[in-house]
Formats: sequence, structure tokens, C-alpha cells
Amino acid sequence: MTVRLKGTERDVVTIRWIPKYTTMERLGHWLHTATFVPLAITGLILYVPLLQSLAQGQAGLFVRLVHRITALLFGLLPILYLIIEPRRFIMSIREFLFDKDDIGWVMNAFSYYLLGRHAAMPPQGRFNTGEKMNGLIMCVTWIVLGVTGLVMWFGKGIVPAGFFQWMVLIHDVAMIAAVCMFLVHLFLAVAHPLMWAGLVSMRFGVTSTAYAAEHHARWYYGPKRARQLYEEAKKKAAEASH
Amino acid sequence: MENNKRAVVDRRGFLKLTGVGLSGFVLQPSDQAFASTLGEEEVAILYDASKCIGCRACEEACKECNNLPPEPVHPSDLSAITWNLIKQRKGVGQSEWPFFNHQCMHCTDAACVMVCTTGALYKDKKGFVAVDEDKCNGCGYCTQFCPFGVPDLKDVNLITGEAKVGKCIFCCQNQPQEGVGRVACVEACPTGALTLDWRESQLEVARDRIAQLKADGYSKAMLYGESEAGGLHRLSILLDEPSAYGLPVDPQGPITFSSVWQKIIQPLGEVALGATVLGVIAAFFVTRRNIRMEEVE
Repeated sequence: MTVRLKGTERDVVTIRWIPKYTTMERLGHWLHTATFVPLAITGLILYVPLLQSLAQGQAGLFVRLVHRITALLFGLLPILYLIIEPRRFIMSIREFLFDKDDIGWVMNAFSYYLLGRHAAMPPQGRFNTGEKMNGLIMCVTWIVLGVTGLVMWFGKGIVPAGFFQWMVLIHDVAMIAAVCMFLVHLFLAVAHPLMWAGLVSMRFGVTSTAYAAEHHARWYYGPKRARQLYEEAKKKAAEASH
Repeated sequence: MENNKRAVVDRRGFLKLTGVGLSGFVLQPSDQAFASTLGEEEVAILYDASKCIGCRACEEACKECNNLPPEPVHPSDLSAITWNLIKQRKGVGQSEWPFFNHQCMHCTDAACVMVCTTGALYKDKKGFVAVDEDKCNGCGYCTQFCPFGVPDLKDVNLITGEAKVGKCIFCCQNQPQEGVGRVACVEACPTGALTLDWRESQLEVARDRIAQLKADGYSKAMLYGESEAGGLHRLSILLDEPSAYGLPVDPQGPITFSSVWQKIIQPLGEVALGATVLGVIAAFFVTRRNIRMEEVE
């Protein structure tokens, strides 16, 4: 695909696309988003005093009903995906595991993502450290919100009151963590210039080779070649600074 | 390119609006979470276990006054439709004043009010905890945080979550703006075991009565509710330890938990949310200044 940036021949760039996500992965992602957003909104209505009037009476009942229906879908979707694409699910979980390159990525992330300094970033797999952090928070909060939510739904009067109280508190804290992470994820996906291909790949399943080479070198080149390129880039940067 | 530009401006506007809107969460004080202090114009019911003959006139009067449906058998605990209940202490003979009247204790530091998500439970200026049933959404947090296990849910649908809270409302439909007012259980009591007056007066009466009871040989006689849960508006003269009547010796646990949750954790959560929103907006402008789309591969 060619893109004309400024209208002159020199500014025409060619983008080569490679597949990144399967249809089921994308569908799962968007359905998860479609359930997370109403869950977060209805949860915040019960949480934030400013929105208290929306939580009252019949409106409040409706809010709680929406929260329960979307919570069921939110909880079931990953399980459904695991059944549909079990090998892919396990592969993705493996790719989400942290390694020592993640430390280097975090150290350089601030200057890279905020200031646009293209210093050598440690090579990343199909998911970079930021995506892994998002994945970790989403997995942990999915479990925590699910367990505490089920206790709050069905455990009233059955579990000891002290236990119930902790469940409510933990549900709140997990919600805050999940929503904060979601906001950062939303910003990077929708508004960050360096991440433009992230949204494209989650919409259409493909990413550009240039983007893959820069952001997911270990996945694009393979671990050996990616490491070699990274060492070369680091060497060049060191020479340039001398 | 023009389309792109327009999209960027729209997005910026959207983020600005979002930032302004969400920052309001941080600035919003959660005043409903703060416990009230005892005022001079507060009333209290005083229950004297040494005068109660267990006639259950209070129960009947409560049902009638508040239009509560009868229960098929005499209940063993308070519920959403039984707000006033006489129970008998175990192992105590009829001659030893075994009865105890259970109802909402109307705490000053009411955990139910702190955790209520709708403001349906609220503190009246006279000190008691009232209910605005229309506002209740049936979340039931109050039922799990009350140290006395008083609020209960009625018309419960386990699947949809539909429910309404029910508990003693101090006959607030009969309460005048000024003066002590009237409550059905007190008016029905034939022995004077239940009385209603200004809280300060009730405390004085209770102290004198306890001194008298001790002189009469009831060495364990005590007042329950002077300072418990910040001070109760249902004071009780007991002839034995609170636990003998099924009352918590220290009801502070759930109240402290509610306070920490509502006054510290929840505002901190709002700060975290607000900070994230502001941080993301700031990052948006910083990246726009530092990173040019034309240079991005």
C-alpha cells in the first residue's frame, strides 16, 4: 500500500503489511473492550459520589443489572476464547511472560515514548513490555474482579460479613487499577503517534513491516538477528555520543 | 491530510473535555462518608431491660405503624419486615428479666450510612438513621457492614439484584421538625421499659437507674450505647454483659473498616483515576510537541 504524505513524489511511502492477530484474537479483544467499558462506567457510577444520583432507585437498579450482565460476558469471554483457540491462547500467554529485556525497555520507555528519542530499545516479541504490563494487570484484575464480584453477587448472607467487606474493598482497588491501565492503553492505542500501527493491527489484523521491525524486532527478525541488530544500534549510539 | 488534521483537533477537544470532567471526581468531596458528631438536639430511645416483661406490644405497634406485613411464625431475628423484636436471653429464668428488645441502634458513626451507594440511608439531624426507600438500589452493602446486623433486604431477586432495604426508621414519618417526637414502640410499651427523650436527658436517667440497680444487687448492670459506635440513639440498660444479649462488646470493627474504605481508599482511588487522566492528557501534548508524525516509520 502506498501513502502520499505531502503530495510530492519524494513523500510517497510504501507500507508492507504482515499478519499479527487472528480474527478470533481481534474479535475477543473488541468484545472484551465492549464489555469492559460499560462495566467500568456502571462500576464508577456506584463508586464516585459525583455520580450518586445515577445510582439511585430504578436508575441504580438498571445500572446494577447492566453491571451484572456485562460482568458475565466479561468473565466468560476469555474462557470462550481459550476453548476456540487453545494453542494460540497458550502461545500468547507464553509471549506475555516477562524477561530481562523488559527492564531495558522500561528504562528507556520514558524518553522514547514521551520525548521521541529513538535510542536503541531492547528487542521485543509480538507483545512489548507495555503491552505485557497491560496484559498482566488485565489478567490479574480479571481474576480478582471475577472472584470478588461473584462473592458480592451470591455470597451476601452466606459468607462472613468481615470477608464480604474485604471483597468489596478489593473489588474497588482492582477496578481502579484496571481502569487506570485501560486509560493508558486507550491513549497509546488511539492518540500516541509512535503507536499508530497498534490500532491498525487490532482492527485489521496486520501491521507494517517497518513498525514490526522497530517495535517487535524479536518477533519480526527472530531472537538472534534482533539481538545482533540491537547490539549494533547500541554500539552506533555510543560512538555517536563520543 | 486535511481529514487527519480535523481528526487531531477533535481528539484534542475530546481529551480536554474528558480531563475537565474527570478532574471533577478528584475535587468532589465525598461528604456522605463523614460521620456526624453528637448534637444537643438529638433524641434517643432508652430501653431498660429491667422493666421489660416481653409482652411484644412494641413489635405489634411497629408493624402497624410502619405497615409491615406479618410473619408466619415469630422470627428469630430482625429482618426487612420486622424492625422491632423481643428476644429472650438463654439460660435466664422468667423472674430475672430475660427479655431484650432488638431494633436499629441508630449509631452516630453509622457504617450503613457510610457505605450506602445511593444516599438512601441518611442521618437525620435528630441523630437517628432514616431510609429513603425510593433512592435504594438494593446493593445491600448496609446489610454487610452494620455491626449489629440490622438492615436487611426485602423483595430480593438474586439474579437481577433487585431489592429494597428495610430497617427501623425511628417512625420518621411521625417525627416533627422540632421537639422530641413520637415513636410507636415507645408509645405502646405498658411498663415504661422503652422511653423517648433528648439523648442527654436519657443518659442522666440511665446513670441514675443503673446506680439504683447496682444498689439492688444487679452488680453487672450497665449502660450500652453511650460511646459505642460514636454513641447510639437507642440506649440500653443491661443487667449482664452485652454478649449475653447478643450484642457486640465492641462494634467498632466494621465502622473503622467502612471509614478507612470510604474516607481513605475511595478518595485515593479517585485521585489515582484523576491523576491518570491528567497524566494521559499531559503525555498527549508532550508527545505532540516532541514526535512528528512525518518522521514516524
